[in-house]
Amino acid sequence: MSCRFAVALALLLLLSLVVPTSGQTPSGAPQAIVSPESVVGPPQGRALTGEELDRRTEALASIMRCPVCQALSVADSPTTSALAMREEARDLLAAGYTEAQVLQYFETSYGEFILLAPKKKGFNWLVWLAPLLVLLVGGGLVVKRMKGERPSSPSEDDSEAVDDELAEYAEQVRREVSG
Amino acid sequence: MNKKVLLTGSLLSLPVLVFLGISFRFDPRTIDSPLIGKTAPGFALEDLDGNRIDLAALRGKPVLLNFWATWCQPCIVEHPVLQAAARRYADRVHFLGVIYQDENDAILRFLRQRGSWGPSLVDPDVKVGIAYGVYGAPETFFIDSSGIVAEKVTGPLSPGQLDRILGGLL
Repeated sequence: MSCRFAVALALLLLLSLVVPTSGQTPSGAPQAIVSPESVVGPPQGRALTGEELDRRTEALASIMRCPVCQALSVADSPTTSALAMREEARDLLAAGYTEAQVLQYFETSYGEFILLAPKKKGFNWLVWLAPLLVLLVGGGLVVKRMKGERPSSPSEDDSEAVDDELAEYAEQVRREVSG
Repeated sequence: MNKKVLLTGSLLSLPVLVFLGISFRFDPRTIDSPLIGKTAPGFALEDLDGNRIDLAALRGKPVLLNFWATWCQPCIVEHPVLQAAARRYADRVHFLGVIYQDENDAILRFLRQRGSWGPSLVDPDVKVGIAYGVYGAPETFFIDSSGIVAEKVTGPLSPGQLDRILGGLL
């Protein structure tokens, strides 16, 4: 009986090693395999570590747009997506990819939308130049208007009209005083 | 003078209004994926049972790649549509789900209650999600039999939409 029990226990132990536990994969956390090399070619820089890796990761994260936020950088966003993107950028820099390669990697999947500052080319120039143009035109209009306005002094016609109006009263006062 | 000011103001604000009018018609979250027409980013992921699935090994048949989560209401709406499609297109199309920012236990509970339509792949660091430029769930990528991304749909799929896209790939 005890022998059967021991065999059953051994079988159970063996099964627990083979059959995956609910909610977990047999190998623990499964590792995703995505090949950045197939997108941006082999790493063209040196593998970064330590403080330099932290600094460059933050610099990159600050110029990347968080895809699930409103006008927030990946560095400023606490969302899971932004954290994952920051981690991915860090992994790529640590693997020796240059900053340009890392940005290209994200741009390949998300498009130029991922860049907080649009590239200075083509139609994008409108975004860079329009505010300057509006400022120049607006400033020009203000200056023109200020130059066109004279200091507030009554015109000759106005003073004559006022004089005529006052003359009547002045005459009346003179008559009353003289008696 | 007032007419002149009005005219100048109108002329200056017209381009801005036109620009805003055009821009507001677009939802940045539904921007076409830059991956369309390009080779689908390769990956190898494990499903909830530990089976490793390599996208490259699925060439020869179209692939429907759906990013989903249990916290996502539209994904729940879409679930029976995908189940029906998976039955209709069995043996002709590979149906793959990628779990997007969700717990494996929650996924398993959901699948036990409602059934599955294909393997649910675990993407713990959202690496595959990032490689596909996923903004949220559900997002579905249709990959043709040669491994090229043919179309991306943001939001829940309708049966008609599914038939139209898959019909074009078969």
